[in-house]
Amino acid sequence: MSKSIKVTGMHTLLYVYNGFVIFILTAFMCMTQDKIVQSMVARSFLEDAISVPTSSATMFYTAIFLFGALIFISRLYRKNEHKYFKYVLLALEIIVCMFLLRNLNLSYDGLVLLVVADLMYRYHGHYQEITLLAAMILLYFIANYNMAIFQTKIISFSAYVSYYNVTTQAIILALRNTFYSINIVLFVFYLVMLIKNTHEEKERIRLLNEQLEEANQRLLAYAIESEQIAETRERNRLAREIHDTLGHALTGIIAGLDACIMTLDIAPEITKKQLNKIRDTAKKGIVDVRRSVKKLRPDDLEKLPFQEALRQMTKNYSESSGMEITFDIFSWSDNLRQDQEDVIYRVLQESLTNANRHGHATKVKITIGGDEKYLIIVIADNGEGCEDVKQGFGLRHMRERLELLHGTVHYWSDAGFIVEAMIPLNQGGKNNDKNFDS
Amino acid sequence: MKNRKKIILAFIILIISFAGFYFYSQQKKILHLGIFAGSNWDVPQGETYAIIDEAIKDFLAENPGVQVKYVSGIKREDYSEWLAEKFIEGDEPDIFFLLSDDFNLYASMGALTDLTNLIEDDEEISEKNYYQAAFNFGKFEKKSFAMPFASTLTFMFVNKTLLSKEGIEIPKNNWTWKDFLEICRKVTKDTDGDGKLDQFGFYGYSWQQAAISNGVILFREDGKTSYFANSQMEETVKFLIELHDVHQGYEVTEKDFDIGHVAFRPFTFAEYQTYKPYPWRIKKYTAFEWDCVKMPAGPSGGNISELNTLLIAMSSRTKNKNLAWKFMKKFCCDKKIQRMLIKKSQALPVRRDVIISSEAQDIFSWAPEDKSAITPADISETMDNSIMPFKFRNYSTAMLFADAEILKIINGNVPLNNSLNKLN
Repeated sequence: MSKSIKVTGMHTLLYVYNGFVIFILTAFMCMTQDKIVQSMVARSFLEDAISVPTSSATMFYTAIFLFGALIFISRLYRKNEHKYFKYVLLALEIIVCMFLLRNLNLSYDGLVLLVVADLMYRYHGHYQEITLLAAMILLYFIANYNMAIFQTKIISFSAYVSYYNVTTQAIILALRNTFYSINIVLFVFYLVMLIKNTHEEKERIRLLNEQLEEANQRLLAYAIESEQIAETRERNRLAREIHDTLGHALTGIIAGLDACIMTLDIAPEITKKQLNKIRDTAKKGIVDVRRSVKKLRPDDLEKLPFQEALRQMTKNYSESSGMEITFDIFSWSDNLRQDQEDVIYRVLQESLTNANRHGHATKVKITIGGDEKYLIIVIADNGEGCEDVKQGFGLRHMRERLELLHGTVHYWSDAGFIVEAMIPLNQGGKNNDKNFDS
Repeated sequence: MKNRKKIILAFIILIISFAGFYFYSQQKKILHLGIFAGSNWDVPQGETYAIIDEAIKDFLAENPGVQVKYVSGIKREDYSEWLAEKFIEGDEPDIFFLLSDDFNLYASMGALTDLTNLIEDDEEISEKNYYQAAFNFGKFEKKSFAMPFASTLTFMFVNKTLLSKEGIEIPKNNWTWKDFLEICRKVTKDTDGDGKLDQFGFYGYSWQQAAISNGVILFREDGKTSYFANSQMEETVKFLIELHDVHQGYEVTEKDFDIGHVAFRPFTFAEYQTYKPYPWRIKKYTAFEWDCVKMPAGPSGGNISELNTLLIAMSSRTKNKNLAWKFMKKFCCDKKIQRMLIKKSQALPVRRDVIISSEAQDIFSWAPEDKSAITPADISETMDNSIMPFKFRNYSTAMLFADAEILKIINGNVPLNNSLNKLN
């Protein structure tokens, strides 16, 4: 989840402010220590102090170093993407925070809020609220425990304050409380911004989702529409083709046959001639029909030898879908009929589409083999497969097409999905015209 | 590639840190010592640093490559403040003399190294060699945080001239309150016949000194409970009222004592040492011959007095703990230095074997022909039986309050009945 500039800015402000407060408080304690030494009240200060004071310089530089470390770790924590390393960083941040608190003689526990702010910045899991609550309670518990163990080892802030006269004491304490209050205000403001940011983000995602859904709907409608248009156009073309070729030939044949019926008894010779002419017309019609059918075939099948066409098709599909397709041919029949070629081509095409769309496969292995009587095509993918195969439109078509050629199809799930198609070969006969329509 | 760079970097850092450590360890080590000028016992002292310098000289000879530094000329009254300032600046000496008022403060705030284990592990040091009251004075909550360096005891000063004039013998070291009271009654009189008392029994005998010699322990060690209302304390107060009545309300002054009109005055050993030998004996108390004996014993106590001890402690932030410990032992454990205390200072050594092995004239070196009433063995015995002063945090305040109340009782302003309970 990305954070808006506002939230990041607020986070920076929180750090800058706390740095400022730490600087002021440390400087105050250092200055007071130096003043105490100068004004010869060291002994009575130690009476109040209960613990051995750290020298001013050490205290000051330790504060700067620790705060620098805190900023560094916080930054790493917020940028780091590693799953477990971020917990290490968080633990480290808490430890540094504790040391800083101790160095400040526990005079300012607003620092804990800084760690909570970091925690909030990063955390957005499933049980966000509960985890956060637990983490915050734990953090405050650690802070309090820290105070309990350090209590005897630090010099209380009041020992420093008591060096000054009553009026100054009141001002110093008021200032410190103001520092703390402002920190809380900033923290709450930061939280509000963070929550608002999260909310806005969710809203934005919701809106984007809606737009996507709408676009999807439109696309679907458009696809259906364009399919219908294509269908209509194809139908019209077919109609025109039939009208132009078959219609023309049949009309001629019918007219010729009508004339033959009339002349059959009167002049059988002429009729014979006429019938020959009709036969020519029918032949011409068939040529025309064939040409029309050819026009309906895929380009590759038309231009390339069949095997090349298959390879070309799988290569193209592999390139467009990103699937790795291997193609092994063990045996091949050179005298395949056009309709057989068409069916093989379609079966392969359909299987590849299925492997990609339903199986989400990344690899497909195509094997073609068989003997003199049969050609067997096996298409195996490494996709999800499915337990219970529902015969969809594609598979049913495949089956229908194959049955027209007296072939069969089987499919099952194993390590992926496997389709096995078998086509009986026409023995001996080359491009048998008679079987063309069967 | 990245990993390789990291390894090389880590290796370089390691080498640098080793080199740094080596360089650091080869440097001359400097030990700082915190001392004050003059005596701890409110008496003038001439050669302030004689013993210190001797100890440093010996220590440096044994530990070459070490330097010892100290700031000279800090007066005793400024020392406490000086030390506190050094602690605040984080610049305190490694080992330093510690005034008894400061001991609890520093021990409780964790400013002193706990020496308990060092003492236990050290074969040269044995608690048995030290007087109990002196050794335990450096303990806080049953742990040793300081070692004793020198002590002083309270004795009873006796005006020999006055007593012999009255035909009274110098009291023995095992004398009692009864003897004390008796002599006081005998000597208190009007010698010139002007109707006013001008010869007295005692001066400056405090109720605390009386209480100690009657076995009273006023407070629990931590100062949270007091025992003012027990029978021993009651005995003490009754005795003090009787003693006080001898003077019939006359307030004896130091002047009366100085001109030789008072028979007894409690004196610390340091004062005794200072004023008895030359040159101080000419300045003070020239009008009479004097000597000292142990404090008179109360019915429930003994000839016990308070043992005041000067302590040496080590800062908990010292960087050379072992060296500092060796240096500390030079002061507290070394027999030569301890023996020097007898001659060069007004204090007593804290090692029993040093006191017992010394000759009487070593201790009382001022006049070999002048036979003293007490011997080194007497001193050692008194020190063994002595008790240490209380040193809990609000002791001075508590004592100030108790002082005022008890004085009221003794002067007869307040009846004894129940008032001790109230004080408690």
